[in-house]
Amino acid sequence: MIVFWILAILLIASAVFTVTAQKPVYSVVGLLVNFVALAATYLELHAEFLAVIQIIVYSGAILILFVFVIALLSSGVKPFEVGPNRAPRIAIPAIVFAALVLAGIAATVAGTRTAAPSMAGGVTGDANAFGSVANFGAALFTTYLLPFEVTALILMVAVVGVVLIAGDEGPGGIVRRRKRRAIEREPIVKRERVAP
Amino acid sequence: MNVAPDSYVTLSAVLFCIGVVGVIARRNPLIMLMSIELLFNAANLALVTYARLWLNNAGHIFAFLVITVAAAEAAIALAIVAVAFRSLPHVDADDAALLKG
Amino acid sequence: MLAFIWLVPLFGAVLLWTLGPQLRSWAGPIGSALIGASFLATCALWNGATAPGGVHEGLGSWLPGWSFGLQLDRLSLVWSLIITGVGFLIHVYSIGYMDGDRAFARFFAYMNFFVFAMLTLVLSDNVIGLLVGWGLVGLASYFLIGFWFERPTAVAAARKAFVMNVIGDVGMMFAIFVIVAKVGAIGYAAVFAGVGRALGPHDVFLICVGLFIGCAAKSAQVPLQTWLPDAMEGPTPVSALIHAATMVTAGVYLIARFAPLWSASADAREMAGVIGGVTAIAGAILGCVQWDIKRILAYSTMSQIGYMIMGVGVGAYAGGVFHFLTHAFFKAQLFLGAGIVIHALADEQDVRRMGGLRTRMPFAFAAMLVGVLAICGVPGFSGFFSKDAVIYGTLSAGHPLLYIVGVVTAGVTAYYMFRLLFVTFFGSYRGDIDAAGAHAEGEEPHHHAPAGLMNVPVAILMVPTVLIGWLDAGGENSPWQRFFRGFPGFEAVPSTTAPAISELASTLIVLIVVAVGFGIAYARYGSGPALAGAVARLRTEAERAPRVLVHAYYADALYDAVFVRPARALGTWFDRVVDPHVIDAGVREVAISAQWLGHLFRSFQTGLVRAYALSLVFGVACFVAYYALVFGVSR
Repeated sequence: MIVFWILAILLIASAVFTVTAQKPVYSVVGLLVNFVALAATYLELHAEFLAVIQIIVYSGAILILFVFVIALLSSGVKPFEVGPNRAPRIAIPAIVFAALVLAGIAATVAGTRTAAPSMAGGVTGDANAFGSVANFGAALFTTYLLPFEVTALILMVAVVGVVLIAGDEGPGGIVRRRKRRAIEREPIVKRERVAP
Repeated sequence: MNVAPDSYVTLSAVLFCIGVVGVIARRNPLIMLMSIELLFNAANLALVTYARLWLNNAGHIFAFLVITVAAAEAAIALAIVAVAFRSLPHVDADDAALLKG
Repeated sequence: MLAFIWLVPLFGAVLLWTLGPQLRSWAGPIGSALIGASFLATCALWNGATAPGGVHEGLGSWLPGWSFGLQLDRLSLVWSLIITGVGFLIHVYSIGYMDGDRAFARFFAYMNFFVFAMLTLVLSDNVIGLLVGWGLVGLASYFLIGFWFERPTAVAAARKAFVMNVIGDVGMMFAIFVIVAKVGAIGYAAVFAGVGRALGPHDVFLICVGLFIGCAAKSAQVPLQTWLPDAMEGPTPVSALIHAATMVTAGVYLIARFAPLWSASADAREMAGVIGGVTAIAGAILGCVQWDIKRILAYSTMSQIGYMIMGVGVGAYAGGVFHFLTHAFFKAQLFLGAGIVIHALADEQDVRRMGGLRTRMPFAFAAMLVGVLAICGVPGFSGFFSKDAVIYGTLSAGHPLLYIVGVVTAGVTAYYMFRLLFVTFFGSYRGDIDAAGAHAEGEEPHHHAPAGLMNVPVAILMVPTVLIGWLDAGGENSPWQRFFRGFPGFEAVPSTTAPAISELASTLIVLIVVAVGFGIAYARYGSGPALAGAVARLRTEAERAPRVLVHAYYADALYDAVFVRPARALGTWFDRVVDPHVIDAGVREVAISAQWLGHLFRSFQTGLVRAYALSLVFGVACFVAYYALVFGVSR
């Protein structure tokens, strides 16, 4: 119980910190704490494999990706978010709707009072226990083989997409280079000259 | 489990809501994307909770798939952000308003 | 045969309307010939018409009780002969009068149409046909008064006449509503049969009131009399035919036709008699201050029709109808004679600028003299007999006050008619057309039709003007009275008191009053000193005329203030307020709301990613709320 509350507080606090931090790097750090706490929660829920995957993929890969992009975009000296806020009062309806979602979910869940099948608490050494790698792998490669293969395809598409969007020029010679330069010269994002 | 599943689901909902607020209230696209990651994780937490509740692997598998797709999506989204805001000193999602009708 | 009589003028009207520009000056003879044909056909039906029941031709049936047809009985025979006969003469006259007019053919088309409409009115055997004819006659009057439509005064006069006639139409319609509601049929026979049975006394009175509203409008009785003087804007033949001989007498026809109803309701007779009397004296008084020759004649028409209405109103049906007959002749003659004068003086109508025409236009003078003698009731001329019949008729029907009114009016009539005669034809010429320019009698200007065309009809009319009165000579057994003996409804209305004086005494009283009127007129206008200082005298008289009379008792001003101005204001209000702000606004609002909806939806497209994300969240919230409500709380 105590563990749950500690983890819960950690999760919520780090999430809030992520969302409200001024500098993106701080947000990344907050997110890191969030992911690690989440991994611990997964452990609490007997999902060991997922906990590890969470750390490796999420905090190990995705967050690093975020850090790289922050570095790429931080070449300027100025802090971010100094442009005019075009929807200044948008936060309030967001909070309201979010609260409604929360209330709704809580109301829905509140009715379900099913007792969980008891399992011995803590990590067990049984390799085929629920949540273990073997158990997970067996399910992944038998019942859910198709989604697994599709996931691989998704990743490949993502890689190709990234290369296409932000990648280098590739072979093609001067014509393609000139066309790309022309396209690149147009800003995708137009900053409107609004008086601060 | 000694903690009722309600608590985990509520926790997941709270994280989800924080993520929603983050997506909407922040203008920096990177932080918006991070808030989106929060949303994914909140959903994962709910999935795992119910997987544990009913001792069904499907929840884990699905959470695994979510993580994978989130990774792919984060990659592409960051690529788009990088290209879109490449030449600008400031990064502000409000500036990407060319579709204003 | 009846249908032939009825439809030939319509055929003429259509022919002249459509082929007018091609026919040009042939339109006059063609139009006149067609009316002449109608007249001859009517004469041919004399024997059938004078038989009891008359000639009847059915035209078809619609609903049970609604059968339309034509009938020619004694009453409609009299009217038909006048309409077609005098109409024919006036058509011929018009060939000369309207010669050179740009719309020559159109004039004859309208005149033929008028004859058709008037025949519809008098030949119908049912109230619906009567109403149709009533309306068509009003339409023809509108066409003809506004014939010279480039003149704004003519257009205004035509409009005024039409609107007032419509008021009459509405009254007639109500009467017809009562008839159809109570009797269930529209034929005269059915209506008359219903008196006392299906139609109680109250119904009869209502019908009479409704019909009388129509009379008052059509015959220019008080209070709907203001259109008749203005109607003189039309060409003189129009004034002669429509506003003297035929259309304005439609009211008299109406009352005579519905005699059974009128006989059954004493109140209705009272109303008709009083209004007829009031109009007679009012019109006569107004005739004394007019300077336009046609207006003098217009007011005299109003006054004489007042006599007729008074006559048939109190129950002296035969007498009233006889006055119609004589009036048709002498009034037509007066108008046509005035037309000769006007035409010769190049459309001069103000008598102050006339004078001394007795020597220059002897024929016109003779015609007008005959007419004036007839209208004043000088013994031997037609008016003498018919006026006597009416005036004495009021006394025998027990209305002494109306008798006094009739007598006084006769005196005033003599005064203003002789005033007209003296001022126009005696003394020296006060106009500004010199002897070389004026068209004296017998002279033929190069572009005019032979003067004979205008003179011959007038000459022909002189004969009945003088002689036709003898039809009613002989009191109760005169040919005229015998002609109408036994006619449905024409039974003499019993009066409660015997007349106080004999007919001979009454005749003498009237003659004395007429002589007094003549004397005053002679003294003021015809005597030597009067003629010598005519110019100055007339001018001072014009200046010193009482305002009330000059403005026709301010009736026009009253109607203008009470009806015309508010109606105009209402129209303007509709134009300024309702049309742009309500009707146009409705249409505009449809367009604007489509636009507004577009703007509304457009405001959602901010282009901001965050706003789109918000709408996504909103959708999620809705879903969650739905599931929470449906699946969650039920536990």
